[in-house]
Amino acid sequence: MRKKLSEMDYGEEGTVKSIEGNLRNKVAGMGIRVGRKLKMATKQPIKGPVVVTVDQYSISLGLGIADKIIVEVEE
Amino acid sequence: MRILIMGNPNVGKSAVFNRLTGAKVIESNYPGTTVDYTKGYMRLKGKDVELIDVPGTFSLEPKDKAEEVAVKMLKENKDSIIICVIDSVKLERGLYLALEIIEEGYPVVIALNMWDIAKNKNIWIDVEKLENILGVPVVPTIAVSGEGMKELVSRIEKASQVDIEKIVEKVEVGGGEE
Repeated sequence: MRKKLSEMDYGEEGTVKSIEGNLRNKVAGMGIRVGRKLKMATKQPIKGPVVVTVDQYSISLGLGIADKIIVEVEE
Repeated sequence: MRILIMGNPNVGKSAVFNRLTGAKVIESNYPGTTVDYTKGYMRLKGKDVELIDVPGTFSLEPKDKAEEVAVKMLKENKDSIIICVIDSVKLERGLYLALEIIEEGYPVVIALNMWDIAKNKNIWIDVEKLENILGVPVVPTIAVSGEGMKELVSRIEKASQVDIEKIVEKVEVGGGEE
């Protein structure tokens, strides 16, 4: 099932399917690209940032950015 | 000769810097921003070499003030050698920056820092293969304990410019393995 990265639940794992245009380069430097596997680690309340685990490290992303990344979630 | 120490934020650039300079650092302020960079000196083959500890950046497309300083410093020091410090645990995103710097035509040496932490996490990097693909020296280091620092220094002079196309060719020949 495909959903926005911002909609993933705690502990859910998925693969990045698409990243909105000009955001691609911005997140590439942080190790997020199409085909990358990631896991939702934390969601901060009140529209706060999300933290995802890629490989063995964590990346926090603003909600606005997480909204623009589409992830295929494992069932 | 001038050497810039670059890398992602929080990978141990300053630890490498302090190791290489013996922490004889001079603080300085970069005009127009609040971001600091640090300058120091080390001796390389009897010559004093200037070392600059550049603020951390994820890429050469700056997203904030600190990254702007980093990119500006790189562009203003066209004839310097770059020590690119990579957190061995976060290899991919470190290489992203390293490749961008190589693409700009700078001679690069890569320090695979926090080698011990990667080992503890069961991450093993084929240094020889990486060196082969990239065509630049790659040295595993543990800056906080000083391990690998001598080798890093001894290989600074081996840093040379590499044509990014050659790297692309080698990666394609090697297939799409991760």
